[in-house]
Amino acid sequence: MIRLSDLEHDALVELFNIGVGQAASAMSEIVSETVTMAVPAISFLNRAAAAKLLASKSTGSGRICGISQRYSGAFDTDAILMFPEEKSQEIVRLMVGQAMPLDELTAMEQEAMSEIGNILLNSCVGALANIIGHELHGSLPDYHVGYSQDILALSGDSETVVLMLHIEFVVERQQIAGDVAFIMDMSALQDLKQHVALYLARAFGGEQP
Amino acid sequence: MSRGAGSLPLLQLVLDCIGVGAIVLDAERRIVLWNRWMSQHSGVLGDETQDRNFFDLFPEQRDKRLDGAISQALRNNLPSLLSQTLNRWPLPLYASKSQAEQGERMHQALTVSPLNMDDGQRFCLIQVSDVSAAVQRENLLREQAMALRSQTLLDDLTGVANRRHFDMAIDREARRARRMGTPLSLMMLDIDFFKAYNDHYGHQQGDACLEAVASALSTMQQRPADLFARYGGEEFAVILPDTPAEAAVAMANAMCRKVHDLRIPHQASHSSERVVTISIGVASTDASHPGEAYDLINAADRALYQAKACGRNRVESA
Repeated sequence: MIRLSDLEHDALVELFNIGVGQAASAMSEIVSETVTMAVPAISFLNRAAAAKLLASKSTGSGRICGISQRYSGAFDTDAILMFPEEKSQEIVRLMVGQAMPLDELTAMEQEAMSEIGNILLNSCVGALANIIGHELHGSLPDYHVGYSQDILALSGDSETVVLMLHIEFVVERQQIAGDVAFIMDMSALQDLKQHVALYLARAFGGEQP
Repeated sequence: MSRGAGSLPLLQLVLDCIGVGAIVLDAERRIVLWNRWMSQHSGVLGDETQDRNFFDLFPEQRDKRLDGAISQALRNNLPSLLSQTLNRWPLPLYASKSQAEQGERMHQALTVSPLNMDDGQRFCLIQVSDVSAAVQRENLLREQAMALRSQTLLDDLTGVANRRHFDMAIDREARRARRMGTPLSLMMLDIDFFKAYNDHYGHQQGDACLEAVASALSTMQQRPADLFARYGGEEFAVILPDTPAEAAVAMANAMCRKVHDLRIPHQASHSSERVVTISIGVASTDASHPGEAYDLINAADRALYQAKACGRNRVESA
C-alpha cells in the first residue's frame, strides 16, 4: 500500500475539511439550521479492510446506506457516502424536521439523502480537483442499501484501494458519524499522491516536502 | 449566441414532447433553451425567455441552493440533485391554471447537469420533474403510519397520550418552534395530595380519579397540534405549540377551575374544601428565548414545584 508522508496526509485532510465546510454551509442554508461537518481523519485501506471497518461501526442490522457518484477525468473514482442504515432515518429527521416511522426510508426520503450525498461528495471531489488542478466529470447520485462489502463492490475489480474519509456531522447539537469512500485503482492512487506532492511543492514555493 | 439545440429541429420537437421541464443556460446564465413543458407550467413562453438571465426571470432563487447548483455545473463541471423534500418549491411552476390562480406550486425535483460542447463551450441543463403524485402517496403513507403508531402511543388507563408520545412530541415541537421562531408553551400538572387519596380510597378509586381528571382536561385543548399526555403516575403534561405564555397561563387557570368544579370528594386532602384539585407549572419559549425541550421540561417542573409550595390548586409560571 502506498504511504503518504505526514505533510501530504495533513494537506489532504485540510483540503477535505475546506471542501466539507462549504458543503456544510450549503446544507445550513437548505435546512435553516447550523450544520457543521469535519473530516478528522483519512486512511488508505484495501477494499476488504474498508468493508470490515464499516461493518464494525453498525450497531443495528449491519446494513449500510450509501449514496454513490462516479467521477472521471484526470482521475477516475467511485465516491460513496455511507452511514449505518439505522442512522439514515436520524439524518433525515434532523435535516428534514420529520421522518416517516418506518423501517426503511421512503422514496422521497431516499431522494433527500441523495441530495445530501450529492452536496457532500461534490465538495470532497471539488477539493480533489483543486489538488489535481483539473476538474472532474461526475454522474448524478445513486442510492443503495446493503452490506458494506456489497456497497463497496459496486465498482469494478478487487485490485482497488479505498481512500476513506471519516466525517462528523453536527446538526442541532447532535453528532452523526459517516464515511466517504473513494474507490480507485492503484494507478489513480499513485497519480493522487503525485498531485498532492506537486500541490505542496506549489504551495511551499518549490520547497520539497 | 446560437440557440443550442434550436439548430436541430428534430431534437427541439423531442424536447417539446417530453414530460419534464428542460432549461439550458449558457455560461452567463442566459436561457438558451426552454421547452414546452416549462412554458405550460410557468406561464412564460419560450420567446420571452430567449437570452434572458435565469435569475432575472426567477429572482427569488438568487444566492439560494439552485444558484449554487448552477455554479457547480458551470464552474466546476459537477452535477447536482435538488430533492423535493429539502427544497419544496424552488420554481414558480403550477400543475394547472386553477392551481396557478391559487398560488399552489407544483412539487418538484430538479437536476442540474453540466453540458460540455466539443468547442469547449459549457452550458448547463436544468431538468424539472413533477413529483406531486409521489408526495401525495407519501402523505397518505405518513398518515397511515401515524395512525398505526398512535395505537401504541396511548396510555392504557386514561386513553390520553402516553409518555412515549409526549417525548416524541416535545422534541418535535421544540425543534419546530426554534426553526420557525414561534412560541411554545408546556404545562406540567399533577393532582394535589394524590398519595393521600390513594391511601384513603384505595388504588381502584385512585385510578378512577385519574381517569376522571384526564378525561375532563384532555378535551380542553382545541388545536390538533396541542397534546395532553400522561407524564407518569398522577402527573400530566400539556404541549401547546404556537401558544405564548399568557395564553397558556389562562388555559392553565381554566383547567384548575375545571378540576375543582368536578367536585370529586377528597376527605384526605389538606385543603379546606376536601375536593380533588390540581397544581400546574407553565413554561414557555419564544423567538427571543428559544430553548431545548430539556430546558422547557425543567422550567415547567420547577414552576409546578413552586405551585405546590405556594399552597396548591394554582398555576405558577416560570
